[in-house]
Amino acid sequence: MKSLSKLTLALLGATALVTPALAQDDKIVVGFATAESGFMQAYDKPAQDAAMIRIAEINAAGGLLGKQIEVVNADTKTDRAEGAKAGLSVIDAGADMVVVSCDYDFGAPAALAAEGAGLPSFFLCAESIKAGIQGVGPNSFSASVLAAVQGATMAEWSYNKKEARTFYRLLDTWTEYNKGICDGFDWMLPRLEGASLVGEDTFKNEDASIAAQITRIKSLEKEPDAIMLCTMMPGAVSAIKQIRAAGINSMILNGSGVDGSYWLSAVPDLSNFYVPVQGSIYGDDPNADVTAFNAKYKEATGGDPSSQYVYPGYVMIDVWAKAVERAGTTETAAVVAELEKMTAEPTLFGPRSFSAELHHQNSADYRIVNIEAGKPAVIDSWTISEPIPVADLMK
Amino acid sequence: MQTIFDALSLGSLYALGALGIALIFGVMRLVNFAHGDVISFSIFALMWPSTDAMAVVFAGDLPWFLLIPFVLAVGAGLSVLSEIVVFRRFRRANPATMMIASFALGFVIRYFLLMLFSSRPKSISLLPALSQPVEIFGARIPLLQVITICATIAMLFALTAFLKRTRFGLEMRAAAENFTMARMLGVRANRVIMGAFALSGALAAAIGLILAAQTGTADIQMGAAVMLMAFIATVIGGLGSLPGAVLAGFLLGAASVVMQTVLPIDARPFRDAFVYGAVILVLIFRPQGLIAARGTKERV
Repeated sequence: MKSLSKLTLALLGATALVTPALAQDDKIVVGFATAESGFMQAYDKPAQDAAMIRIAEINAAGGLLGKQIEVVNADTKTDRAEGAKAGLSVIDAGADMVVVSCDYDFGAPAALAAEGAGLPSFFLCAESIKAGIQGVGPNSFSASVLAAVQGATMAEWSYNKKEARTFYRLLDTWTEYNKGICDGFDWMLPRLEGASLVGEDTFKNEDASIAAQITRIKSLEKEPDAIMLCTMMPGAVSAIKQIRAAGINSMILNGSGVDGSYWLSAVPDLSNFYVPVQGSIYGDDPNADVTAFNAKYKEATGGDPSSQYVYPGYVMIDVWAKAVERAGTTETAAVVAELEKMTAEPTLFGPRSFSAELHHQNSADYRIVNIEAGKPAVIDSWTISEPIPVADLMK
Repeated sequence: MQTIFDALSLGSLYALGALGIALIFGVMRLVNFAHGDVISFSIFALMWPSTDAMAVVFAGDLPWFLLIPFVLAVGAGLSVLSEIVVFRRFRRANPATMMIASFALGFVIRYFLLMLFSSRPKSISLLPALSQPVEIFGARIPLLQVITICATIAMLFALTAFLKRTRFGLEMRAAAENFTMARMLGVRANRVIMGAFALSGALAAAIGLILAAQTGTADIQMGAAVMLMAFIATVIGGLGSLPGAVLAGFLLGAASVVMQTVLPIDARPFRDAFVYGAVILVLIFRPQGLIAARGTKERV
């Protein structure tokens, strides 16, 4: 019995060693260790669909390094323990690159599994600095833009284009993402001459009422020019609705997390509301290719993109495939080195840069969406005057 | 002035929730943790099942005089159904078993909603006319806040009248005080318990309505936070005591708003820790609750 189990172990070990090597011969495998069920599914699925569009395009154009890209999936079930298993499962299936859940907390277990196997990993749309070198390891990347860039962009843009001078900062302490937006705002504000913070407050995403916070804003001598609202769904809608219901009409600045028109019915006739996005889902992006992509997405999935968080999935496959093409191999060290050489690499959704110290975007070309009388429209574009230094991001 | 309204409106929500929990605890010693999920369910009943990001509204566009009874009926219906299907079978089980069963029921309801509607919070505009500010005593207050407070007070009066003036109310109070004795004296247990569940479900639906109108969002977990606070309110109010639950609900709401107002910015994220700290203090000095229910006192 003992020898039998030893034999089985040896056999298992041998197959584990052999399988990935075999898989790499005639095809390139992308492993998706993402949520196909549970609450993260609603966030992972759209970006994954966009990634599949880019993969289909590459395959149709003759593949990568002359090989077809194949996809393997494993469901993380929106569970961290399952996430680690899903990561291992796609690695066992021969993945050359591992795609993990949108959020750092839910994607990290699979990304760490990839890191352990010496494979590159990409977070679908995580916006925390931890989603990358700092929180996973030297082979991990994120396809989106840091939350801090969103806060910094909104502060600088509103200062320059809307003459905002007095700011109020309202932070929802629920997630790292929310804090990231406000951190970026805090970093930018002292750089804007004559701009001042007239007050600040915090709330919790699940708070049934933010009446006390609103009373604090109303007790200011003068309504602030702009309210920097660092929050995300579902609490964002609640906060916005309550701010407007209380009769506060200040400009509201946000992170990308509130992009999408699906929630606008909750706050009828919302105005003076600004959101930074990587591309417009409303069919009015200055770049016609973005609108063309929206049509392609609709054809593939049957629906329009519901928010800008669809786009990072496409960018992810795009930059990774370019790096593989340049490296001439899917071998991790070579691909990572090529990715790190990218400086303002053009993509459909703006330039992307990676470096040996940051596998994330600390600056980005954002479209500014303005919601006026309940109608969203792109009114401007903005890139922050200087990228946010990594040291400041780590604070 | 504004702060008082803030405190009262948040307190109203907690008081309604606490009342719903206390009602059921009173008649059958059951801490119903599915209460929060009844809140979510009654709002989701206003939409067609769909996993799209955009909500497909079904009954949400009804005029208010139809909408409100509809939502209340859904809450009451689900609550009665849960009594018939689940809790009736646990009538003789000990309270801990029933509590676990209520947790399980809550999960079933929540995952049922997850299956039909996905985890994405849905936006829904309920009674949009209420999202306007009104001027009262020099303070500009959202109309909804005023309505919440008035509706809660009206509901409390109606409920008190019902419990004190009607035969059914009398039976319910008798059952709350000593269930076995009440049965021996001819109170029909099933009817009273069903009545309590129906009332409690309708209260949950009322919270759902207020929450949805205030936040514009329906989320499968929307009831959880209120449920937790409401449960704490029933405990510090004295488990099973209805006036205690209401009083404690208002106190918790006030404590939460006052903490948010007076704490320095760095301490504000920990507001709830301070609120819970106050709860612990109350329980140390009055372990039986602010207003102890007569039925729960130790008899020597």
